[in-house]
Amino acid sequence: MDLGTSKPIFSSYKKNENLYDEIFDEHENVRPTYKKILELYSDHSISDFASLNEKAKSSFFNQGITFQVYSDEKAQEKIFPFDLFPRIIEAKEWKAIEKGVLQRSKALNEFIWDLYHEKNIIKEGIVPLDLISSSVNYLRQMNDLDPPGGIYNHISGTDLIKHSDGKYYVLEDNIRCPSGVSYVICNRNALKRALFGVFNHYQIHAVTNYAENLMEIMESVKPHGVDIPNCVLITPGIYNSAYYEHSYLAKTIGIELVEGRDLFVENDFVYMKTISGPEKVDVIYRRIDDTFIDPLEFRSDSALGVPGLFAAYKKGNVSLVNAPGTGVADDKAIYTYMPEIINYYLGQKPILSNVHTYHCSRKDDLKYVLENIASLVVKPVDEAGGYGISIGNRLTKAEIENVKKVILENPRKYIAQPIMSLSVHATYCEDSQSFEQRHVDLRTFTLLGDQKSFVLKGGLTRVALKKGNLIVNSSQGGGSKDTWVLKK
Amino acid sequence: MLARVANNLFWMGRYIERAEHTARFMNVNYFSSLDAPNKLSQSRQFVLHSICSMVGDDIDDAIELKEEEVFYNVGMNPEKHYSILNCVKYSRDNANSSRDLISTEFYESINKFYHFVMNYSKNVFVKSGLHDFTTNVTEHTAILRGKIRGTLLHDEVYALIMLGVNIERATQIIRIVKTKFEDAQKATGGYANPIKNSYEWTTLLKCCESYDMNRRFYKKPPVQLTVLEFLILNESCPRSIMNCLNQIHQHMTILDLLKIRDKNSAAFLIGKMRSEYEFKTVEEVQKNVEKFVESTLNTLVEISAKLENEYFNY
Repeated sequence: MDLGTSKPIFSSYKKNENLYDEIFDEHENVRPTYKKILELYSDHSISDFASLNEKAKSSFFNQGITFQVYSDEKAQEKIFPFDLFPRIIEAKEWKAIEKGVLQRSKALNEFIWDLYHEKNIIKEGIVPLDLISSSVNYLRQMNDLDPPGGIYNHISGTDLIKHSDGKYYVLEDNIRCPSGVSYVICNRNALKRALFGVFNHYQIHAVTNYAENLMEIMESVKPHGVDIPNCVLITPGIYNSAYYEHSYLAKTIGIELVEGRDLFVENDFVYMKTISGPEKVDVIYRRIDDTFIDPLEFRSDSALGVPGLFAAYKKGNVSLVNAPGTGVADDKAIYTYMPEIINYYLGQKPILSNVHTYHCSRKDDLKYVLENIASLVVKPVDEAGGYGISIGNRLTKAEIENVKKVILENPRKYIAQPIMSLSVHATYCEDSQSFEQRHVDLRTFTLLGDQKSFVLKGGLTRVALKKGNLIVNSSQGGGSKDTWVLKK
Repeated sequence: MLARVANNLFWMGRYIERAEHTARFMNVNYFSSLDAPNKLSQSRQFVLHSICSMVGDDIDDAIELKEEEVFYNVGMNPEKHYSILNCVKYSRDNANSSRDLISTEFYESINKFYHFVMNYSKNVFVKSGLHDFTTNVTEHTAILRGKIRGTLLHDEVYALIMLGVNIERATQIIRIVKTKFEDAQKATGGYANPIKNSYEWTTLLKCCESYDMNRRFYKKPPVQLTVLEFLILNESCPRSIMNCLNQIHQHMTILDLLKIRDKNSAAFLIGKMRSEYEFKTVEEVQKNVEKFVESTLNTLVEISAKLENEYFNY
């Protein structure tokens, strides 16, 4: 036996005292939920893991669960890194998360309805008017328009973190086109293939019921007068980085995957071009951003959308999932008002906490932010994918000055939050061929329909693979883990 | 089904089939030439010209070809539209665009095939990998056909892929017949009737994976008449034009039963061509092989154009 490569998997695990470790408590004891799996994993050597890791990677690659990266004019296929150590969430802990994310989705839906109708929350001075009127994601075209079933954010992705106090905090709500759900299912499949033995020892909720629930949600918001709706999913095409997810969802739901060029609008009805002529389309799950869906109404240079689609939507002849204009509410500046929004519409206290946020648009906050950049995370309010974020304690003096300058140019565009310490989880690292602590977050998926809602019992645990890195987004070199929600 | 996706499925089928025939043609021609009974059939230049001609790259016989260059162009050159590498790439691109309609299992196989071809060392291929590469390509395509048959619904998706596969197969077989017929005119056999006994007829059968079954069927060494009859008119030979036409006809009726009587439709033309073939004799074919080959190729092109016009025009 080669002693060099067969050392037990946790022999070189270094624990940082200041971070919340999902597996080990503060006395370095294994938390009860992880006891069994750690025992089982300890039967494997590091070299076993290296080979399992390779197998998992090639399985993702062969299945084409990949995205394209363009460099040197040559397209390269990459897989989203997948980690073999699952994240486990206890039943009790999950219950609170599930209630909390559903509460947020419902409140956001009421909020968007109000913004595009009576605007009571603004009239009553709870949310400031200029926050809405200055938002690029506010679509005046949506004013006084009633989406079928009264639903705007049919699909929400809520990003949560666990802070060093062991409590969950919401980082942001994604209610435009949240992605990642296909990876929840792929990760589960990959882990089952690689380490099926461990599944016998845990009672885990399945994640495969997402597709059927999404279908029901789509059918629940069909246009008035339609009996059995014809649902489709619209994608920007095969070169989109989320194309795998689009094709996966269309396939598992059993609906057509269309591109803009496959659809056309006639007399304010939407049709797709099939081999036997035009076929009417009733519900569109769109994975194209608001401004691209209809070149006649929004960006005229969009080749991805369908001319006349918005007019058909306005007439109530087609439903869009999610509705256009939801982006106004997942703005990071709106986020800070979530406790008030939940209270205003639902009369409830928020179940999940917000991270305290400073608005650079407010005079006092701006002053505080400029004086304390070193201890804050500064984020642009309307960017996704982890772009434009600066983390104070990583900046040099010159960089701090630069951030200040950028904020002052357009204070409305920035918010700041205390640096939250994301919890860490044991993660297999290829470079060192061992398990190390890496920061993780959790994205949950919530569906909202007419008289129906659903929270996927599981989620996407994203992990920052670079040591010490806090940004988990896949576009910034993040990976992901299978996420188990225990039945009891 | 979306017209765009129907187009993708059709061409996916065609490119899978094209990759296979090109690979097998290269393999069989090259290796059977090594111990061929006459000088010309043994000649490297003769074989290389034959390979180029089969993929439609018509080069003057007088031009001297370099073996590695021809191998590279036909096998792996990304700049040549006819290369096996591009056939596989196009078939996988088409599969990507129709990914929601095909099974995970089938997609995984076509994706593996793609990565196999893309990652094959070009150096090894032109120097010593011809056999390994081409036999692997043939095997991958067999797996794909198995997954198409075994994991997809036998509905219009299947019908469209199979239409593509069979139209391409008929086209490739007739192209191979054409190429080898031309070769047989040059590399004549012995005895009284040199063209009829050419060694190239044996090669032709092997190029179509039909040698063993031809021997079993006729119980005699292959000659022009039996080879042409077998590959063109024998409906039980899975590679024959007749067999392809029967399948094309069958899948066409699944796709569109209503148009069969519309005399401008693809369905009608397919039915007409099939009927003509059904009552054709090899003696008639032999009278003017070149003409027969040309008209078959033209009708296949016409069928494809009609399909495009009726179903894929989005």
